[in-house]
Amino acid sequence: MTVKLATDQAGTDQADLGRGLELVPARRLLDPEPVARFDLAPGDRILVAAGDRVSVGVGLAERQREPRVDDGPPVAVAAELDHPPLRAGDWWPGDGHETGGPLRRRHPRSPAGELLHPRDGRWRIATGAHVDLLEAPAPGVVGEAVPGRGLTIRLSGTALIGSFAAGIPSRGRLERVIGESGLRGALDVGRAGAILAVDGRIDSEAIIRARATGVRGVIASGLAGKDLRDLQASEARQRASLQPLAPFSVLVLDGTARRPLAGPMADLLAALEGREVAIVVDPPRLVFDPLSPAVGPPARDRIRVVGGDLIGREGRWLRTAGLRRFAAGVHLEAAAIVLDDGEVAIVALVDLERFI
Amino acid sequence: MTVDSNVLLALDLGAATASAALIGPVDGRRRLLGSVALPAGVSEDRLVDHLLDRVRRADPALAEVLGLDDDASAAITRLVVRSIAPPTLVVLAPTVRARLGVERVAGLAGWRTRGASLDPDGTIGLTRTALERGVDALAVAGEPPTSREETAALAELAATVAGVVSRPIAPPLIRVGELAREELGLEPQVPTGEGSIYAPGPEAGDPAGEPLRRLFERLDPTGPTARRSALTALTDLASVLDRRIELIEIGFDGGLRAVAGPHGLEAPPAFVPAAAAVPVDLDDETVDEVLAWSTVALDRHRMRDRLRDLRLSPWVEAHGDGARLRLAAARAAVTRLVAATPWLESLPAPDLIVVAGGAWAAAPGPAIALAIADVVRRPGTSQLAYDHARLLGPLGAVEDPDERQALLAELADDLLAPLGSLIVPVGLRPGRTAGRLTVTGPAGETSLDLVPGGLQLVDLPPGQLAVVDLRFRDPVGMGTRGRHLTVQVGGGLGGLLVDLRDIPLRLPERAERRRALLEAWQAAFWAGGDE
Repeated sequence: MTVKLATDQAGTDQADLGRGLELVPARRLLDPEPVARFDLAPGDRILVAAGDRVSVGVGLAERQREPRVDDGPPVAVAAELDHPPLRAGDWWPGDGHETGGPLRRRHPRSPAGELLHPRDGRWRIATGAHVDLLEAPAPGVVGEAVPGRGLTIRLSGTALIGSFAAGIPSRGRLERVIGESGLRGALDVGRAGAILAVDGRIDSEAIIRARATGVRGVIASGLAGKDLRDLQASEARQRASLQPLAPFSVLVLDGTARRPLAGPMADLLAALEGREVAIVVDPPRLVFDPLSPAVGPPARDRIRVVGGDLIGREGRWLRTAGLRRFAAGVHLEAAAIVLDDGEVAIVALVDLERFI
Repeated sequence: MTVDSNVLLALDLGAATASAALIGPVDGRRRLLGSVALPAGVSEDRLVDHLLDRVRRADPALAEVLGLDDDASAAITRLVVRSIAPPTLVVLAPTVRARLGVERVAGLAGWRTRGASLDPDGTIGLTRTALERGVDALAVAGEPPTSREETAALAELAATVAGVVSRPIAPPLIRVGELAREELGLEPQVPTGEGSIYAPGPEAGDPAGEPLRRLFERLDPTGPTARRSALTALTDLASVLDRRIELIEIGFDGGLRAVAGPHGLEAPPAFVPAAAAVPVDLDDETVDEVLAWSTVALDRHRMRDRLRDLRLSPWVEAHGDGARLRLAAARAAVTRLVAATPWLESLPAPDLIVVAGGAWAAAPGPAIALAIADVVRRPGTSQLAYDHARLLGPLGAVEDPDERQALLAELADDLLAPLGSLIVPVGLRPGRTAGRLTVTGPAGETSLDLVPGGLQLVDLPPGQLAVVDLRFRDPVGMGTRGRHLTVQVGGGLGGLLVDLRDIPLRLPERAERRRALLEAWQAAFWAGGDE
C-alpha cells in the first residue's frame, strides 16, 4: 500500500537529497560503449575476423538452419601437408564444388562445413543446406570471432539499455506509436522498415502482424512472457518453412508488467524519432548515433515508481521517511516523493528507481 | 574522534540485497547495535553511512562513546562477504541418465549445471552446449556399454569431446568415472596446462557421489563466498553453543543446507544453485512449485511473469502480494533444497534450525517459522531462529578461528532472532483427538487437545522457556517413540508450533481449496498478511 498525502508537507531537505537519494536503486539509462554478442552454433560460417571494421548490413555470419554432421576431408598425416594442419573449428570450404570445370556426374567429395573432430581417418563436419545471413545491425569493430560460439562487436554509437529482447538483431528508422489505437493504425505496409516504439499495451498478435507488414522491430515497456513465447513459436514456424527470415526483434525496456514508458526513455525515443536505430538482442540494447544536443539521464532527483499501487508514476525525491509498515504487515524503508501531479506520496524505497 | 577498536561492520553484499550490521562493545561485551538491508545496487559506503546515521539517531550517547561521528565509517574494520554467481558446469554424456547423475552431484557442490547427451542432442548439440559462453568447466561421463550401439555411442562421444577440448576456447575438462579414462580412451588435451582431471563416478562413495561432490567443491572457481563463510560460522556456532544446528539458507543464486554438531559437520553440506529463490532457468516445474505454495490467485502464465520480474528486480514490491509471492517462492526453494538432500533429512531433528538468506529479507518472523514448518517435515522438537542481520556470512569470514568463535559466542544471542519452537509428532491416527498437550511456562499453564491434521499455536514470547507435556492416545514418534513425552521449548516471534499435519504435508489438488487452506494456516502467523 502506498500512502498519498494531500499536500507537500515539507520542502526537500538538501542534505537528505544527497544522502537519501543514493539509497534508491540506480538504473543506467545509456550504455556509452555497447558491445553486442551474436551467438553462433557449430556449422555457422563466420564471415569476419577479429579487428575487422564492419558497416551496417555487412554479413557477419551464415547461420545454418538445420545443421547436420557429415564426413569432411581426410585427416592428413603431417608429412603430407603443404599447409598448416586442420584443427577443430576451422572452416572447410568443401571440395568438388568449386572447380569451375564441367559439371561432375558424381556427388561432391565433401560439403563445406565447420570441422568438428576426426573420426576413422576423416574429419567430421557440421554442415547444412540452408543458411540465413546474419547482418551487422550497426557499425562497429569485431572483437571476438569464435567458431561454434559467436561474435562480439564493439558498436559505434550509444545504446539505450533494455531488460530483455528476442529475435534477430535489426535496424530501421524509429517511429513512435502511442496507445492501442495508434498501434492498430500503424500496422500497415507503410511502416515497412521501421522500428516501432510503442507506448501502450502490446501483445503477440500485434507484434506478429507488425512483422508481417515489414516492420523491423518493436520497442515496448513491458511484454508478457506468454506473448514473447507466442512470438518465438511463430518465428520457429517461419524458420521451419524455409522462408528467408527478415531481421526482426523485440526490445522490452522494463519487464513483463504493463506500465507506461519511463519518462527519460520516452524523451530519448522522441528525440530519436525518424532516425536510424538498431536493436541488439544480447545484451538488450537500442543502438543509435549520438544525438546532438545529447539526451542524457534526467534531473538527479527524478524518481520513478516501479512497484506497488503507483507503478509507472514519476516524480521528484523529497526525503527519506524512515521505516514504515506496508501491506501484508511488512516493514520497509520508505521515502516521500512528489508525484508529477503535485501529490506527495510515501513509497517503499525498494519500489523506486532513478536513472543515472 | 577515535572510533572504538572493538567496533566492527559486518557486510553481506548479496546478489539481490545488501545488508550491513554494526557490532560494538556494550557493557564490556560486543553486541549487535543495528542492521539495515537495502537493494544490492546501493553502494557499500552509502549502506554503511545509512546504518551509522540510524545508530546515531537511535542512541546518540552510545554513538558518542564509541566514536561513531560523521567520519567514522572509513575507520571501522569491515568484515565483508559477497555473493558470487555460481560457476557453470556442462556435462556431456552418451545418455540423459548418465548426464543427470553427474549434474545431480555437481548441483550439490554449488555448480549451476546444464548438459547435453548424444541421445537426443547429437554431436552438434553436444559441441554447441560445450562451447557456449560462460561455461567454467566441462565434465564427460558415461556408463559401461552393454551393447554394440552403446560402444559406438561412447566412441562418438570420445571423438566429440576430443574435438571440443582441442579448441583454444575449451574450458577445463573433468573426466568422471573410470569409464571416462578407460573406455573412452580420452587423452588430456586441455591447452591450459592444467590437463584433465579424473574424478570418481556419481555413484561412488558413501553417501553415493560424496567423493565427486567434494571434488566439485574444490574445483569451484568462485573462491570464498558469503554462503561458504556462513557454513564456517555454522560449524563454530554449533561448537560454541554445544548444540546440533541445521542451517537452511535461501538466496538469490542458490541455497545451502547443512547440519553441524558440537564436533563439526554431521553430514556433507549441500550448496544447491537450483534452490535459489527464483532459479535462473525458470521451467514449468519451478513455476508449478511456487503456484502450489501461493496464496495469491494467479494462472501459470502470470506466475511465470511475476517470477521473471522477481528475478529481474528482486527487491521490488516486497509488500502486499509481492511479500506473499516471495514467501511462496522461498517455500518452493526450500522444497527443492530438502528434496536434494535426503541424507540430511534422515538425520534426527536438530536442536536448532537457523534460517538465513536474502529470500526472507522482508518476511515477518512468524511467517518464516510457518514456511519452514510447512516444508521441513521431520519428526521431533526443534527451536527455530533467523539470522535477521545476515551476520553468519561475515562472521564466518574472520580468519582466526579463535577470534571467530569468541565473536560468535558474544553475539550468539543477538545474531539469532528466535522464531519459536516446533513440535512435530509422526504416526498420529486420524480421529477427533490424539491426546492432550500442556504447556507450563512463566505465564502459567495452557492445555489443549491435540487434533490430528491440525496446526496449533501456543503463545510463547521470545526469551521464555516452557515445559511441554504431551500425552497421546497411541504411541507416536518424535525422535523417540512413546505415548507420554515431555520436552523443554524456547519461545519466539511465532511462539510454539505444534504441528500435527501429515508427514510429508499433503495439500488439496484443487487450487482454490489449497489456497484457502494455506491462507487459514498463515492467518495465525502473519499479522496483516491478508492486507
